[in-house]
Amino acid sequence: MELLGVLLALAGMDAAAGLALLPYVPRVAPGAMPGKVTATTFVLERPRCIFDPFANASDAVWLAVAFADASAAFKNPTSSAEVPPYEGLPTARAYMTLQMAAAAYGCSAPGAAVLRVGGDTACHGRAPCNGPLPSPGPYRVKFLLMGCGGPKAETKWSDPILLRRARSLSTIDPTPARRSSTAVVIAAILASLGAALAMAVLGAVGTQLCVPLCRRGLGAHLPYRTHHVPPALPHTLPPACVCGCTPRPPGPCPTK
Amino acid sequence: MAKTDNGIRICQGLLILGNVVIGMCGIALTAECIFFVSDPHGLYPLLEATENNDIYAAAWIGIFVGFALLALSILGIVGVMKSSKTLLLVYIILMLITYAFEMASCITAATHRDFLTPNLFLKQMLERYMKSDTDNNNDKQMTEGVTKTWDNLMLQCCGVHGPLDWQEYTSAFRMTHNDADYPWPHNCCVMNTRSEPINLDGCKLGVPGFYNSNGCYDAISGPLNRQAWGVAWFGFAILCWTFCVLLGTMFYWSRIAY
Repeated sequence: MELLGVLLALAGMDAAAGLALLPYVPRVAPGAMPGKVTATTFVLERPRCIFDPFANASDAVWLAVAFADASAAFKNPTSSAEVPPYEGLPTARAYMTLQMAAAAYGCSAPGAAVLRVGGDTACHGRAPCNGPLPSPGPYRVKFLLMGCGGPKAETKWSDPILLRRARSLSTIDPTPARRSSTAVVIAAILASLGAALAMAVLGAVGTQLCVPLCRRGLGAHLPYRTHHVPPALPHTLPPACVCGCTPRPPGPCPTK
Repeated sequence: MAKTDNGIRICQGLLILGNVVIGMCGIALTAECIFFVSDPHGLYPLLEATENNDIYAAAWIGIFVGFALLALSILGIVGVMKSSKTLLLVYIILMLITYAFEMASCITAATHRDFLTPNLFLKQMLERYMKSDTDNNNDKQMTEGVTKTWDNLMLQCCGVHGPLDWQEYTSAFRMTHNDADYPWPHNCCVMNTRSEPINLDGCKLGVPGFYNSNGCYDAISGPLNRQAWGVAWFGFAILCWTFCVLLGTMFYWSRIAY
């Protein structure tokens, strides 16, 4: 009886789920794009063709985002009304977003090859909201194909996706590693040239000032211009006279 | 007598030639420094905000030193031709003062060039670009200068090392612009003729062709390095030549009789 009960319960669960597990693993878009993982968003590769065997025209594909440690406990919602909203992420630790028609994932569907999670900053309260992620994570995602009667197919959970965490700008150290040798060379050579010039000027001015002082100190005469003095010509002496020289020629002396 | 006469003539000729070269170098130095001070690349606000704009001070000194060298070289030529001791003494003293100023300018330009590291500009960009709460008038002016300069720079490049600078560090920009809409400033996007990004979503993702992927450090450091080394090395060359001419002048001066 109990065994029958367990078998019935198991059969009931399978019937209610009807869930196909696709082997596809969602992943961050390949390619060199520096913005594919930022602090609040990340970019997934858009899977193509994988839902076509299961999808009707009215089905929608959702993306379930959960914290990596809460992904195992995630329960698929049974209908569109029970989809966990974006605002419930801090408490429910999971939400679902990016509701799109299954045709958008078709083999020949047009549109971008990537899906940006967290790129909509203006969707407050309006479900489904693709708002920015509040913390760096890590997160795991999976795609869920939902029909009118509940989920029909799901992919596997992705690997944990860790978002960027910005460092504080005060950790940047702007001081240079070491003084370049060129600056040292220029400074040294210029300083020595300047000192040599100063010495030379002091020396030149000093010798010019010192020359007269130094020679006086040694007892030498001041240099002076020598005039050429012609030898004196002998003056013609007045004729010899004994008494009262007059220019007249000597005559007999007046007797007293 | 003829030999010393010839010697004097040769000495005079050499000194006059030396002074002519100094005069021409003075004009060239003035022209070069005026070119630098006129800031053709518009990078002066970045230096002003680092409070380390000594290479501009060095260029300003270079302008006046160039004029002084020109005037003094003419004085020197006149003094040598007249063999006047007074004129040459005045020439030597004024030349020494000019020499000291030019030495200061060269050493300043050479040593302060070392402070212009990428991290200096990175920190300044993160702290000041689009900063909204400024403390005082001076801060506001510096912030506006930095923002305007970076907006201009970001027409060709993004960030100092690359756009990821905006992702790796917190910034004043991040306070007012959320990460989902602005992983980096929209000025980094490739713009059309109406100054709008040609593909904003592509720019936000970082798809090649829709955003500027290279860093701006080369665009900043190239002109600033050329300025610093131009002032420093050309000044150094002038000073070496002036040293020789001054020594010759002092030798000639000491041989002139009163």
